[in-house]
Amino acid sequence: MNTTTSAGLRERVARIKITPAIPAVLMPLLQLFNAPPEDANINEIVRLVSYDNSIAAQCLRVAGSPLFGLSKPPKSISAAVVSLGLNRVKSIVVTCCMGQAFPEKKWALPPVVFWRHSLGCALVCRKFCEKIAGADSEKAYLAGLMHDIGFLVNSLTFPEKFEAAINHARDAQTPLNEAEQAAMGFTHSESGELLAKQWGLAPEVITVIAHHHDAEYTGPAQGLVATVHLCDLLCRMRDMGYGYYERHKVDMVNDPAWITLAKEHKDLEGIDLVRFTFELDESITEIRNLVALVFGGQPES
Amino acid sequence: MSPLAPNAVAPGSAQTGGPIDPIYRQIRDLVYNVSGIYQLEEKLYLLADACSRRMKEIQVASPRDYWDKLTAHASREGELRLLLNEITIGETCLFRSQPQLDALRKVILPEFAGERVKQVVKRLRLWSAGCSTGEEAYTLAMTMIEETEGLLKGWTIEIVATDLNDRSVEAAKAGVYGDYALRNTTDYYKRKYFTLVDEKKLQVRPEVKKLITFSRLNLKDDSKVLFMKGMDIIFCCNVLIYFDGPSKSRVVEHFFSNLNFGGYFFLGTSESLLKLNDQFHLVHFPGTISYWKPSLKSGKL
Repeated sequence: MNTTTSAGLRERVARIKITPAIPAVLMPLLQLFNAPPEDANINEIVRLVSYDNSIAAQCLRVAGSPLFGLSKPPKSISAAVVSLGLNRVKSIVVTCCMGQAFPEKKWALPPVVFWRHSLGCALVCRKFCEKIAGADSEKAYLAGLMHDIGFLVNSLTFPEKFEAAINHARDAQTPLNEAEQAAMGFTHSESGELLAKQWGLAPEVITVIAHHHDAEYTGPAQGLVATVHLCDLLCRMRDMGYGYYERHKVDMVNDPAWITLAKEHKDLEGIDLVRFTFELDESITEIRNLVALVFGGQPES
Repeated sequence: MSPLAPNAVAPGSAQTGGPIDPIYRQIRDLVYNVSGIYQLEEKLYLLADACSRRMKEIQVASPRDYWDKLTAHASREGELRLLLNEITIGETCLFRSQPQLDALRKVILPEFAGERVKQVVKRLRLWSAGCSTGEEAYTLAMTMIEETEGLLKGWTIEIVATDLNDRSVEAAKAGVYGDYALRNTTDYYKRKYFTLVDEKKLQVRPEVKKLITFSRLNLKDDSKVLFMKGMDIIFCCNVLIYFDGPSKSRVVEHFFSNLNFGGYFFLGTSESLLKLNDQFHLVHFPGTISYWKPSLKSGKL
């Protein structure tokens, strides 16, 4: 990205008119959630979530999804914290806030496709980390959920160019980030990073947003970046991509990101990747239902 | 419902409409660990149906007692084989796995075409190992004919199809199929590649047949399998599930050496090689998995 484009992009991102739609509770909640676990102020979190009735109600419904571990919605946010733990409630709250931050409108990328990919990636990241000792699965969930927010920036700020990129990627059946680079001179990684900084997201989530297409990334949060990179690829290979066929072959175990991750986590070798893939397929229906619940629209058949 | 969900409510069974007996998950895992066949959670009722047919046959009253049959030393091998028959029964048809054919046409063949652009004589050898009554071999033949009208113009295509069973091989040579086997075959293919035998049956045209050599072969016969050299793609679907670990491992080693560098080996869509071979690279294509013998120039062997 050249300097002029970069400055123009930064200015446009700063002017994104999402403020009226963004739930007022999201920013203070993200601040609270960013605090170290020992400093977590549970009462304040419960109070803030409960403050916005529509978010609170949605959180309770989401908590009742099998994907989040309860068989029926809990009666209150504090009951959800007791049953599911603070970290999982955090995932639920941020998921619901994201749904409200970007209300469904005429996007270049169909919202249901975008959210299915984001939520699918979030859940696959969480599941993947549950298989690896010492990996923070809820952090991976949030990073997976947020990794593509740059698509929303591009959709809102550069609608024509972004639509051209999508159309090109769909016709040529190539990865969307490559088409973005060709059509716009930058990708959702860059625009997403700008928005993430503006929002004050956690530094490691910002790093994931900026580098999730860079398989060879090393540096701070490299394990998290590698996790999201791999789970993003896997989702795109299992019907949770951007809604079109990508002519793409993915060799996960020989991907540099996998090799990076394997250095940190010796037990990665033990993962049965084929079974993991089959299990991922089993979640697709639930993920579709959840997308309809949080982000609107009808569940796809 | 999903294994991503720790407390997921069990799905209903086709027979009772009620929650499925958790023992079927144990049976699912047993079947997977022994054969590599994975029954998706949402299809668990099919496994339950297969078990109940076996239970009726051998007069076992409860799923728990049937589990004992599947695990008791005296009966386990024979019973598991019979259960696998029930699980895979009726799966065979032409154009069974669209994701595999898409991977072939959209990713693999363009890859081969690119790699062999400088070769004067361009040929491709495919092997349908355990071809049963020929559905897979004919599907491949028709698909390849379509490709020789475009991407693979001027290429020589050779398909070898083998099965242990003489009667299957004879039926395969005849190439006569009814509605059930043709349920995924479009009118385009029916018109172009079949002739009418009677009102219920179609026969494959000679120009398709001439691409294929059918013969009897026992995959456990090392001396014969050794000679199946120079393959580019091997399909071996729902065959190895019946082999014990050492035999399966040996066949897979043969497949590896039978394949040219850069070649691919496909199993059935819900089948895994488990961890029987570390020479192949597990690769993902949209909606399907394959095992790849890396090209020499990729330096990944």
